[in-house]
Amino acid sequence: MYDNYYEPEEISVKPGETVRFVVENKGNLVHEFNVGTPDMHEAHREEMMMMVEHGVIQGGKLNHDMMNMDMGNGHSMKHDDPNSVLLEPGQSKEVVWKFSDKGNIEFACNVPGHYQAGMYGEVNFE
Amino acid sequence: MKPRFLTGLLSLLMPAMVMAGEYDLTVDRVEIDTGDFVKEGIGYNGASPGPVMRFKEGENVKINVTNNLDEMTSIHWHGLILPFDQDGVPGISFPGIKPGETFTYEFPIQQAGTYWFHSHSGFQEPDGAYGAIVIEPEKREPFRYDREYVVQLTDKHPHSGDRIMRNLKMIPDYYNREQQTVGEFFSDASKNGLMNTIRDRMAWGDMRMMKADVEDLQGFTGLINGKGPEQNWTGLFEPGERIRLRFINSSAMTYFDIRITGLDMTVVQADGNNVQPVNVDEFRIGVAETYDVIVHPKDEQAYTIFAESMGRSGYARATLAPEEGMEAAVPQLRDPARLTMADMSGMPGMDHGNMAGMDHGDMDMNSSEGMSGMDHSNMEGMDHGSMAMGKGGQNDPFYAKGSGLVPTAANGGKFLSYADLKAQDPLYEDREPTREIELRLTGNMERYTWSINGVKYEDADPIRLKYGERVRFKFVNETMMTHPMHLHGMWSILDVGADQWNPIKHTVSVQPGTTVYMETEVDEPGQWAFHCHLSYHAAAGMFRKVIVEGGPESTQAKTDVIAKDGGEV
Amino acid sequence: MSCIRSIVAVSFLASIGVSTAVTAQEMISDTTARKQPLTTWGVQFEEFEYRYSDDDEELGVWNADAFYGTDDFKVRLLTTGEYEIEEQAYETLENQLVGQIPISKFFDAKAGVRFDTPEGPDRTYAVLGVAGLAPQWFEIDANLYVSKDGDTSAELDAEYELLFTNYWILAATLDASVAFSEDEEIGVGKGLVSTETGLRLSYDLIDRAFSPYVGVVHERKYGDSADLAEADGGGTEDWFAVIGARIAF
Repeated sequence: MYDNYYEPEEISVKPGETVRFVVENKGNLVHEFNVGTPDMHEAHREEMMMMVEHGVIQGGKLNHDMMNMDMGNGHSMKHDDPNSVLLEPGQSKEVVWKFSDKGNIEFACNVPGHYQAGMYGEVNFE
Repeated sequence: MKPRFLTGLLSLLMPAMVMAGEYDLTVDRVEIDTGDFVKEGIGYNGASPGPVMRFKEGENVKINVTNNLDEMTSIHWHGLILPFDQDGVPGISFPGIKPGETFTYEFPIQQAGTYWFHSHSGFQEPDGAYGAIVIEPEKREPFRYDREYVVQLTDKHPHSGDRIMRNLKMIPDYYNREQQTVGEFFSDASKNGLMNTIRDRMAWGDMRMMKADVEDLQGFTGLINGKGPEQNWTGLFEPGERIRLRFINSSAMTYFDIRITGLDMTVVQADGNNVQPVNVDEFRIGVAETYDVIVHPKDEQAYTIFAESMGRSGYARATLAPEEGMEAAVPQLRDPARLTMADMSGMPGMDHGNMAGMDHGDMDMNSSEGMSGMDHSNMEGMDHGSMAMGKGGQNDPFYAKGSGLVPTAANGGKFLSYADLKAQDPLYEDREPTREIELRLTGNMERYTWSINGVKYEDADPIRLKYGERVRFKFVNETMMTHPMHLHGMWSILDVGADQWNPIKHTVSVQPGTTVYMETEVDEPGQWAFHCHLSYHAAAGMFRKVIVEGGPESTQAKTDVIAKDGGEV
Repeated sequence: MSCIRSIVAVSFLASIGVSTAVTAQEMISDTTARKQPLTTWGVQFEEFEYRYSDDDEELGVWNADAFYGTDDFKVRLLTTGEYEIEEQAYETLENQLVGQIPISKFFDAKAGVRFDTPEGPDRTYAVLGVAGLAPQWFEIDANLYVSKDGDTSAELDAEYELLFTNYWILAATLDASVAFSEDEEIGVGKGLVSTETGLRLSYDLIDRAFSPYVGVVHERKYGDSADLAEADGGGTEDWFAVIGARIAF
């Protein structure tokens, strides 16, 4: 992941294939690698917006204390879903995902502004 | 981070293969048709605006400028880093270009992004002498788009620049048709009470200042890429495309609030430098500033680009559409802007004891909106100034608290603030400034004189800086007008409280009653202009010459230093 | 790839760097117009009107001023006249030439001469005055006159504008003159000499350059001046309907 784009910008998978993504953040900012449909990304962008507003994501740093803070309604802002990782500059993590059926899937960074600037990639089904 | 173009010792041994482009510009008398009126003015290559100059980062450009006027002219490359004698300011960079003469500018392109160029002689710029500069970067940009358009705004007036200056000196409110009337007195009285209104009018009358003093120059026709609202400049797109819009405010005196109904915008560049992307519904572009935004229209329909002047006296308008001839609804202008006592707070000697309870009508009591439901006891360490609150600019730290000029998005969404701008790739290492220079922005509206520290350019000594220092400029706005301060030749690193992520700009807007800081790494020898970019303010004295004493010892020595620091290639 | 471009840039810059160092020694001084005080000029007709009185008197009246200069010093020509149309004579004809300088944020001081050449005896005065904008938006012009023969008098002119709309403007004016010594020849008695009050409703037709108006003017003489006027067979009070235009360019 770079500021603000992915390399590669598109991938090809077979339906049913399980792919291990090795995601490395080579940029200066916090970035996300998230696999899902455009609608899921749009919903997630709202959540990410809240994370920025609460100071969890601060440009090139993550505020880990803030992330684990209980928002008062049982939710926290921990970013621990299996289909995504949120990385500080220099960090590396793996995402293992099975692409079960063909669909409109993209991988995207939903840090506010990044998706709109073009930080997304297409998943093409063979 | 040292300038990235200087590399290790090794490189000096390689043979020079220079990329160069040669361009020709003529400065001509042209006819400008705004749709509302036709007026003779000045243009480049036979038209106003002039052509879009397209350069590549790293190329050496040679621009031959032929003056076909019967008066001196000049071209200043706004925002470009170049040797001072190529900066194009007569009396500071060079003597100017005589009638009939061809002057050749030669300089390397050391940056990428959206910039512009304009005459720096007389009032030629308001009379039409401006154009755009688009510089293609060497590296990949941190954003993607499928097509791009230059969207260059100006405030073309039926009067010539000379005539406007003369009129303003004779009658300072000559062009202000948004003044408070008897009718407004009665509507304020019914809203706020008769006594409050009388007290309010008397408080301002005592100061002999007008709440309505937001825009000095009204009665203009807003142009986008040379076309007035009726002529409707149109940018075509295919639904689903990402479009990069390069907004340039080339106007003489007007700040525009820009929105595209139905599309939100992602700001990716400010003043030619990449910023961390910010999604907004509306933004205010100051005179001489540029903002690059990405929009993503998905529907097969037309969208109106609406640029409303800050004081709401006029507007510019363009369209993005899938086909020529398509139009979308054009919004109505909002109510005229009114200053508040908060905007006056910069003026020395203001007695605020009597000011309480003055402006109930203007104060928006919604500053607590959006804060409910949050446990504030855990919120320490949060920089509220830079929090994207999802709402308009009620809490914009770059406006006086309670200012009447705080912008709000017309659709209730997010309005861009300077506090939202963070550099994407900082150009300089963050270090402590070596000294601070205070510049009080001053003026007398009745006499229409504008100055810095109370001194007009004609009476002022130059500001002397030393090569290699980092100066922190403190702008204290003691007037009730907004001033876009532009330092030529060196970057202005605007202090938004983000340390090394402070955005890098060339023009910094200072709102009335506020103090704004910006820092400059003094790394360009020579002498440079430094002035308010409101054309008639600069001409009335709000201008300075900056002399940079000293220079690099030799480029050899500088390169040694870079290599030692493990500098980047 | 970018390495080569940087190399290229460095080499070019090395040569530029050298030449820049040289030219830095020869930095020019600013001899352009920008470094000179801004010189400006203007002409305004506060009054340019036809007056019709309740006595069937018809007058052509003007009150104009032209200036030329900089923020620090202006030369002004102020001229006012009342031309009796039937009698083809000037009831009033005053021309002032003054130099004006700023003395405070809102006020200027002026000094000069005034030449009165109406129908009747001529007078020449030295002028000393103050003009500017007083709090609550009153335009003030206060002057002291000393004639060649040592007769002193003073005049106070005040104007206030009320904006009905941004184009319809109601202007109220008051001109009052006081004499400290009698000048019988021209009908001036000691004390309050006369007042002229006016109310004019104008419409800014062409910017602020041409604003036609209609209005009403009241002239009145007082005390000794009134007596002198009556003795001469003239009146002491007049009401006029006026129609004219403000002009500025």
